[in-house]
Amino acid sequence: MRLAALALVVGAFACGKGDGAAAGGNPRDAVVAAWKKGGLTPSPLTASTVTVGKDCESGTVGAIDVLLCVYPTAADAKAAEEAGLAWVADTTGAARVSGTVLIAVADRRKSDPSGRTINQLLKLAPN
Amino acid sequence: MRTIYLVLLAGLAVGIQPATAKGKQVRYVGLHPVPKADGGGICYIEGPHVHIFAANKLEYRDHGNQHYFVGDPVAYGYDGPRHAYKGHHPIHVHAVVGDDQEDVEFCYLDGPHFHSFTPPPAIKAEFVVADDAYFYVAEPPPVYVEARPAMIKVNAVYTPMVYTRPVIEVEPPSGWIGVRFSAPAVVVVEDRPPPPVVVVAPRVRAGVEVHVPVPTLRVDIGIGGGFGVGGGGGGHKHKKWKHR
Repeated sequence: MRLAALALVVGAFACGKGDGAAAGGNPRDAVVAAWKKGGLTPSPLTASTVTVGKDCESGTVGAIDVLLCVYPTAADAKAAEEAGLAWVADTTGAARVSGTVLIAVADRRKSDPSGRTINQLLKLAPN
Repeated sequence: MRTIYLVLLAGLAVGIQPATAKGKQVRYVGLHPVPKADGGGICYIEGPHVHIFAANKLEYRDHGNQHYFVGDPVAYGYDGPRHAYKGHHPIHVHAVVGDDQEDVEFCYLDGPHFHSFTPPPAIKAEFVVADDAYFYVAEPPPVYVEARPAMIKVNAVYTPMVYTRPVIEVEPPSGWIGVRFSAPAVVVVEDRPPPPVVVVAPRVRAGVEVHVPVPTLRVDIGIGGGFGVGGGGGGHKHKKWKHR
């Protein structure tokens, strides 16, 4: 019984990670929630080992690659914008800060030639 | 040993090739056209972003380390909100893109054209609205006059473009920049007829080299009587054509 309860708690924590602001706490969730509220459908985010930051998760929105990294302070997140652009690499993309979260987006599959989805991703995120 | 030198030379040759935009991030802010080679149309990303294609000198201005488009987006298929202007006018870039990096640039498009923005409230008094179009009627800064000869060449880009421009039939208000600084006539003259295709027979290398020299275009700008500073209707004297 105790084991089942523990499994439930662990499961709930795992689902909550990167799945909306309802889970609370993680500023990354607020970004994902804002995207969903704006009509976008982000994939579940998974932990990502990148040089941009230590606490990063990546996924997709449509065919756009997204990377959300959380930093201790907003200044730290801002300082990581260049690293975010480096993650974008040789394609269309952007990196902007939303509080303590760095949002980096990259259109590696050239699925958004007009940039409208990227624009939504950047504008919907809380300031 | 000779092989090593050859390899070194080849490496150096690769290293000194001029950098192109391909594969290198170029920073933009605000909406702008996408080159035809990269798909064409408009990029609607409003905030700072990157592409791997370059921006040209006539239609873009530097805003910090980003390129900001000052041309008419409708000419490239922009389908968003638009506002009509006639003649040259300032663009408060910081107000359009929404940052605190003060930057006033000038649009040098002659005649009726569109932008996606209106003048910010702080400088609305510098414009007169007539026939739903903005006319700039304030005193332009010296930097406008200094950059004008180079920047009015942008009209040679737009003149041949076929798109629906705003229809402005009203008489321009007094003090309009297009009256005080007479609008130049832009004539595109082809220097010479396109040269024939020259096929050079191979000598050492295998294959055939086909040289197709690109015909050069010369843009002649005629300034009617120079700058008509002061006075309501000056500047339309004899047309002088300055060939460059």
